[in-house]
Amino acid sequence: MAALKTRAGCSLRLLSIPLDPPLPKGEKLIDADFMPVEFDENHFKHIQIFLDQFFPSRFNSQGHLMRNTLFRLHSIIASILLAAAMAGCGKSTPPAPVAPAKSAVPVVESSLSILATTDLRDIEMIIPKIREATGVEVSFKFGGTFESTEAVLNGKAGTDAAWFANAKYLLSDANGLSKVKLQEKIMLSPLVIGVSESSARQLKWDGAEKVTWADVMKAAKTGKLRYAMSNPASSNQGFMALMGVAAAAAGKSEALTAADINRDAVRDFLTGYKLVGDNSTYLSQKFKERQGEDINAFINYESWLLSMNAKGDLREKLTLVYPHEGVATADYPLMLLNDQKREAYQKVVAYLKSEPAQLWLAEKTLRRPINPDVAKKVAHLFPKDRLLVELTFSTDRAVADSLIEAYLNEYRTPIASTFVLDVSGSMKKEGRLGQLTKSIQYLAGADNSITGRFSRLNSRERIWLMPFSSDVGIASAFVIPNAKDSSAKEAVFAEIRDVAGKLRAEGGTALYDAIYEAVRNMGEEQAKSNAKAKAFAYSVVVFTDGERTEGMNLSTFMQRYEGMDASAKKIPVFLILFAEGEARALNEIAKATGGKVFDARKQPLASVFKEIRAYQ
Amino acid sequence: MFDEQDCKSMNKNLKNALITVALLTALGGGLFYSTLDRKQETASRTAIADETRRAAQMVELSGLIAVDVEPFFKDERVVKLLYENNFRANVIRIGSREMAGRVAKDTAPDFFMPSGVVAGNQISEAAKKAGYTTATYSPYFTPLVIASWVPIAKILAANKIAAPVGEGGSKDNIYDVDLVGLTNLMLSKKRWRDLAQSQAYEVSRSVLVSTTDVRKSNSAAMYLALTSYAINGSEVISNMESARKIALQVADLYKRQGYQESYVNGNFDDYVGIGIGKTPLAFIYENQLVGYAIGRKAVDKEMVLMYPKPTIFNKVIVVTMREKAKPFAELLSSNPQLQAIATEYGFRTSIAAALPEAANKVGLVIKPRIVDVIDPPSYEIMAEMIDVIAKEMKN
Repeated sequence: MAALKTRAGCSLRLLSIPLDPPLPKGEKLIDADFMPVEFDENHFKHIQIFLDQFFPSRFNSQGHLMRNTLFRLHSIIASILLAAAMAGCGKSTPPAPVAPAKSAVPVVESSLSILATTDLRDIEMIIPKIREATGVEVSFKFGGTFESTEAVLNGKAGTDAAWFANAKYLLSDANGLSKVKLQEKIMLSPLVIGVSESSARQLKWDGAEKVTWADVMKAAKTGKLRYAMSNPASSNQGFMALMGVAAAAAGKSEALTAADINRDAVRDFLTGYKLVGDNSTYLSQKFKERQGEDINAFINYESWLLSMNAKGDLREKLTLVYPHEGVATADYPLMLLNDQKREAYQKVVAYLKSEPAQLWLAEKTLRRPINPDVAKKVAHLFPKDRLLVELTFSTDRAVADSLIEAYLNEYRTPIASTFVLDVSGSMKKEGRLGQLTKSIQYLAGADNSITGRFSRLNSRERIWLMPFSSDVGIASAFVIPNAKDSSAKEAVFAEIRDVAGKLRAEGGTALYDAIYEAVRNMGEEQAKSNAKAKAFAYSVVVFTDGERTEGMNLSTFMQRYEGMDASAKKIPVFLILFAEGEARALNEIAKATGGKVFDARKQPLASVFKEIRAYQ
Repeated sequence: MFDEQDCKSMNKNLKNALITVALLTALGGGLFYSTLDRKQETASRTAIADETRRAAQMVELSGLIAVDVEPFFKDERVVKLLYENNFRANVIRIGSREMAGRVAKDTAPDFFMPSGVVAGNQISEAAKKAGYTTATYSPYFTPLVIASWVPIAKILAANKIAAPVGEGGSKDNIYDVDLVGLTNLMLSKKRWRDLAQSQAYEVSRSVLVSTTDVRKSNSAAMYLALTSYAINGSEVISNMESARKIALQVADLYKRQGYQESYVNGNFDDYVGIGIGKTPLAFIYENQLVGYAIGRKAVDKEMVLMYPKPTIFNKVIVVTMREKAKPFAELLSSNPQLQAIATEYGFRTSIAAALPEAANKVGLVIKPRIVDVIDPPSYEIMAEMIDVIAKEMKN
């Protein structure tokens, strides 16, 4: 083994570096052929910063370097990186002697996997800091709030810990609480209303005047407040906002019961709900595109809205409104699920609650520190001292269920959508057709989980199932009857399940013909119903398992699409990327139609269908 | 939340710095750096002999402890003191109410350290049934208090529910609060804005003390003991019939709070972290607030300590399950150094002046002596009342 002297008086030694997965025999990562001249402490520091920034999880639990870290870079950078990564790697290989220098990284002693809600994605950057401070390698898996709550309840989280913006439903359930061994709140962010500055001025919400939930409801009802919000049936922000309105409208000062819900107030509030979606990144993108046009507000956590303001790419800054009777504050409990990982968990919690971490969280993610001493130091980051009265959170499941059911079946703009279903010959492979059938049947009542119930077809909804292969088939149309008539609803569900069960795979893939036909169909329906002044939320959902083989090609489709009515072109097309589907083409269509591509290659098709429901 | 653009510019900036390092890559394989001169420790013979003797005498103990004493056991000075007295305690934190469920034959830990006599009694009962001979100690204790805020204390004082303690009370932020008056105020569903002189906290929330969930946590059970005493005409409940009746009334004081934390630190975190908007009144152990102030060596001028009149003591209990744990429990109760450390965590000990002095050093004034104290009802009555409330809360 050769050793090199460095300026800092450290020696560089050689060892063979374990890669995950290992390289095939005979393959080399680097064939550069030069020798080092000088090497000092600063180099390591630069590399460390670079790696921590972009490859926070470059080591697996055994301390092996993840191979994809390298392949994600250009070759020259890759070779630089290897030296750097190895530097980090060597230092984290137990029991590595620790250098006396400041950039020393402690030994990775243990790991902690965390199931987190998607709004915590901005936390990932703290992984290297946790490792440095505690020696614990943290990894994240992300999911929606309801989906993740369900996973913990069923014991299927598959992680050592869970970290949600709000875990009150989980923790008020005896079964849920039994799954949680330890819990600790890490930070805070109230749910607030961000209103475009000009609109806030018009509404007189920009001064010292108190804004009440009643003011918010009134503005929504009269069309002065048109907001984006995540779907109350799948995510915490939307749900908590609904709870806030319900609590304020009930005029009650304590926990609600289902009988207290004032349906008119909830409906008024939802009149202003113009931009639906499931995750904040998607909503932010759409919000930026539509701010000042048909949308002027965004309901989200304070941290998210402050970050949007700080980025400076909005058409207009947002004025943050904190409704006077109360806000719901996310308190981000980090919960231990796997008792074997108690020690690692406690180390991570101690670090996250320490001053450096709390400062980092406040400065980088704009969440309020739970540590009041740190909170004073970063008070300038948050709107001036307002008394934030906390809404009483009702743990009554009936309240939550009835609010969400009412939202879906009564208050929300009903959905009208065409499902374009690929039944070409390739769908015979690997049980693909079976998955598709099951996914559709789930929407029609065959899934009784929490997320299943909230993603099924709702009262007043209209749906067309349009199978296609070499030709575009005839669409079967269904109307879901009113909520009150459950037997009529079940009969329509049975019909839909039956149609889905009879799908057969045969022939080619006339993909663009089918999409075109579906958009045209929705456009016509929209024109008809607008005449009758009935509002529906129109969309097209496209499922395909491969490339187009027949009918028009993509560029013909785009040309013909351009020629469509302006109103038809506002209908979003949601596309599912599955099996051999062509990502580039699907992305192009999503972009042109204001839709979104959902990747079903790595998760079950049925959950992707559920996810799409939150965007419709 | 970084986007691609940040990524690209970062990339560029670092590229130059990184090129220099590229030179190293020719080496292939991997590398790490280490200090050349690692210090070798050589122990003297006497030290080795010392260690050997100690190892032979060392008593290893396993314990399940409540969250209140976890920081105490984690304190290095405590570990060291125990070690010098030939004890090594391997402790795991669980909920006090879960402990009785861990008294299985032969597999129980050497000792339990629950919060409160109720949980202590539960453990002893279960242990007896499982064939253990137990002993119970109570080395430290703390009164239950209501942590509050200056504006709230002033409103309650204006409404004759609270009064500053002595002449310096309003300056020192310590108040007595009339338990019967407060309980009645809460039962009558009064809102803050309905109270006289409530301009500083003119909100529509009901006047309610924030507690933990009584089905899961000891401090909430202490709240039950106090409020049931107030409703029962300032008498400790002694018969089942009135216990059931009064429990139904108290159930409302929990239910109306909505979501409640299941552990007492969660409630305290809300108090210090979210503050007056969420927890104008928080029912906590005195040691939480005092330990917090001593730990950070400062007092928040807006925080107020309210002593319910009467209040109740919560004892930290040690239940020993095996003979070898007894000397350990005695040590915790009698060793002056251990007691002094417990004081730093806000506990009161047999030396009455110790805690007020320690608190004074960081500018916190606490009641030196608490005389108006009641006992909780019997174990059976408490259990029955908790059962009644648990059923109510499911409805």
